[in-house]
Parts: sequence; C-alpha cells; structure tokens
Amino acid sequence: MSPGRFLAARLWLLALLLVGWQILAARRILDPLFFPPPSKVGATLAAMLASGELGRSLWATLSRTGLGLLAGVVLGGLVSVVICVSPALRTAVQPLVSVLYSTPRLTMLPMVMLIFGVNEGSRVALVALSAGLVVVIQIADAFRAVSRDYVDLAANYGASRAVIVRKVYLPACLPQIFTALRLSTGRALVLTISIEMMSSNDGIGSMIWSSWQTFATEKLYASVMMAGFLGLVTGPLFHVLERHFVPWRSAQA
Amino acid sequence: MRLRCSQLQVAFPSSNGSVPALRGLTFDSHDGEFLTFVGPSGCGKTTLLRVMAGLLNPAAGEVERIPGPDDGNHSILLVSQEHNLFPWMTASANAAFGLEMQGVPRREREERARAILEKLGCAGKERAYPAQLSMGMKQRVAVARCFLSDPAVMLMDEPFAALDCQTRMVLQRELLELWEQDRKSVVFVTHDVDEAILLSDRILVLSEGPGRVVAEYEVPASRPRQALLEMNGELWELKRNILESLRLAAGTARFACAR
Repeated sequence: MSPGRFLAARLWLLALLLVGWQILAARRILDPLFFPPPSKVGATLAAMLASGELGRSLWATLSRTGLGLLAGVVLGGLVSVVICVSPALRTAVQPLVSVLYSTPRLTMLPMVMLIFGVNEGSRVALVALSAGLVVVIQIADAFRAVSRDYVDLAANYGASRAVIVRKVYLPACLPQIFTALRLSTGRALVLTISIEMMSSNDGIGSMIWSSWQTFATEKLYASVMMAGFLGLVTGPLFHVLERHFVPWRSAQA
Repeated sequence: MRLRCSQLQVAFPSSNGSVPALRGLTFDSHDGEFLTFVGPSGCGKTTLLRVMAGLLNPAAGEVERIPGPDDGNHSILLVSQEHNLFPWMTASANAAFGLEMQGVPRREREERARAILEKLGCAGKERAYPAQLSMGMKQRVAVARCFLSDPAVMLMDEPFAALDCQTRMVLQRELLELWEQDRKSVVFVTHDVDEAILLSDRILVLSEGPGRVVAEYEVPASRPRQALLEMNGELWELKRNILESLRLAAGTARFACAR
C-alpha cells in the first residue's frame, strides 16, 4: 500500500470530525467559548510554538518522563535479574510488587513527597516506580515462560550456564522486554502529565491545569492535543525498534 | 561410542505417589550401529533418550559410555520431535549452533551449515527463521545441526513423527544417505515399524510403561539401502514378528495391571 493510501485509510474519520467541528463552531451552533474551532486551536498551538512556551513544556515533560523511565527500567531490570536468579527472593518480592501494582500510582504522590520532599526528585521517583513495576512483572513472567526444551537443547550441545543465559534466556525474553518498554513508556508519560497537573510549575500537565484555571480554552485544547500526540508517537516508535531487535517475532506473523 | 545401559530406573511424581517410566531397563548399543526402539506411546521412550543424553538422572542404574576408536568427540546429541530449533536464530545459525559451541569461527560454520542444508534440500532457507519453515524443513535443520557436530552417539526421538507421509519418506531417505556415509552410532525411537525396519541394523521392542525390552531383532538387509526397501519374505516375516511382539507387550502390561 502506498503511504498516501495508508494515511488516508487511517485519518479520514478524524479529518471529517475536525471539519464538522470547525463548521459547527464557525456557525455558532457550538459555543466557541467552550468549543473553540480547530483553526483557532491550531493558531494557538502555532503561537505557543513560536513563543517557545510549547517547547519548554514539552522538554519539561519529556525529560521528566525520560529520567523516570531510565531509572525505572534500570532498577526494574536489576530487580528482575535478582528474582529470576533466586526463587526464594521471587516468592518474597511478589506480594510487594502486587500491592504496589494494584495501588493507583498517583495516590502515592503525597506520600512520596512526604519522603523525598516537594521537588523534582519525588516526581521522577514516582514515574520510576511505575515504570519499574511494569518491567519487573513482564520480565519475571517472560523468564518463567522460557521453555525447558530450549535450555535442555543448549545444555545438550555443551553450553555453559553463562552461554545459556546469553543464547537462550535473553533472546527468549526479548519480545517481552520490548513489550515492557512500550507499556512502561506509555504509563510513565500518563503519570508524568498527571503529576504535573497536581504539582508542578512546568510541563504539559501544568499547562493544561493553568489553562483550565484561567479558562483559556483554546490553550487548554491545544495542550491536551499535545499530550495525546506524545502518546500517539511513542507506540509506533517502539514497533520500529522491536522489528529491528526482535526480527523473529514479525517472522511469526 | 557404545552405550551400556543397565537396570535404568526412572519414576515421575504424580498425584498419587509416582508413576514408573522405566523399570530395570537393560541393553547395549554397539559402535557404529543404527539401533531402534519401537514401542507404544507412553512406554518411556523419550525418558530413556533423555537419560542417555545426560539430561535426566535415573533414580537407579547407569549409562556407561564406552568410547569407540574413531570418535571425534564424546558428545551424545539428541534430536527431538519438536521444540528442536531456537525460534530466535535463523536456520543457518540453528544448524551451526553445535559448531558455535565447539568454538568454530563464524565464517567456517556458516559455510558448513550452508553446505549441509543444501545437501538436505534446504538451499535458500539459510536466513529464514523457524516460524517461516515447514515442519519438514525444521526437522532437516535439526538433523543438520546434529550431524555437523559430529557426536559420538546420535539420539533421535521420533524425529519424523509429526510429518506427513511423503515428507517423512523424503527425510528418511536423506537420513539414510547422510548416515551411511560414516555410520556413527545412532539410537532411534519410533512407533512406526516400517520406519524402524528401513533404517535400523537392530530393533528392540519396548513394553508399555514402565518400559522393558521384550524382544530383539536383527534387520537382515544389506547397506546402502534404498528408500523403498524391497520387502522380501524375510523382511515381511520380521515385520510380522515385531507387530506380534508389540501386541504381546501391550497385552502383558494390561495383564500386569489387572493382577
């Protein structure tokens, strides 16, 4: 399929909705104060981009998400390795992970701020916790699902333990490692923006909340669209990475 | 290498105690011999091969490894029925896995994998992943990997059981050709009596679980063999005897249970 048709097949409904909205708002059937027409939202977005406000907000949100994600993936990865190696520790860690995973992360924000203070550290720590939990759960699952047959096969050919880890466990878990990265990135982004709405002076979330409080509806719509856009682009990004690093998974289709 | 298995005993835990898989199994394999076990499913054939490969420790008894004069190395390699290839490696990398473990440089092992895959009718499939290969192709790659490693004994656990009839015949011929070139010791397991006669020098019949050897037959056919073995009177007689042994083996097991 040509790129043109590929996009057309996906975007026509969205375009239709935007055009309808534009017409309804222009004819004042929708109150433009509550539903500013897409043209105005677009103009606001352009102005925010030109003034550098959008860039600063994006940078604040993305750096926060990235930092939390990095810390979460590294720590979650370490914890995963430990519990994969020791079944006893796995049994002990599992209830803790379940409790933390079942508690909505945002509800922990005040608590985390009690511990780390009302600062950047708390925000990043909570994002890291959220990302780390996803990583631990996914990798521990993947590790347990590695078929005994493949381990036996490698052992039969004289592979050492280290070689079995590198040649069997790691590639066998790789598809789920990518799933973990994709999921945790999505979660980290959502959580970062939520945290910013509650407690931050910068970032997309803060922009959304201040627009709401000042009733700057055009800016509000523009900021929410940016939040949606960020979520939209991370998915395909990981699919591209996965196709490159896990080629046998797309071969299965 | 030949293997001397004596009084092998294996049991698996179950909800009510344990189920014996092997009970006092004793036999010898000979150097350079194609030895086949036939038996009903559930007679412990897979368990036996796993014990012989050193992947499972028997509760009692032992597998004595007696090296032969022209063993390259002392490895005993297993080709199983499925889950035979690493899904994350290409056909070429799978076939060359044994060589990789032996420390053969990449260039050389890729070349050797390519050569043997071509001989087995897998030319052009080197870069394919297992998910893209048919069942027959997968088993060819597994057989290629085993032969490339040049083990002292090859163990084959119903490698062709999941294949359709034509593919199975083709792979049997390819295995015969490959094996008859340098006749390494093989212990083969199947429930297909024709396959056993076609491939083997000697056939042992196992009883229903727990597995015991209930009959032993030499195959009176010369080598190299044709893929469609001419079934002369002697071979028909052999087939009839094996089938009769299998029938009796199933019967005694049921009798033993009833008692």
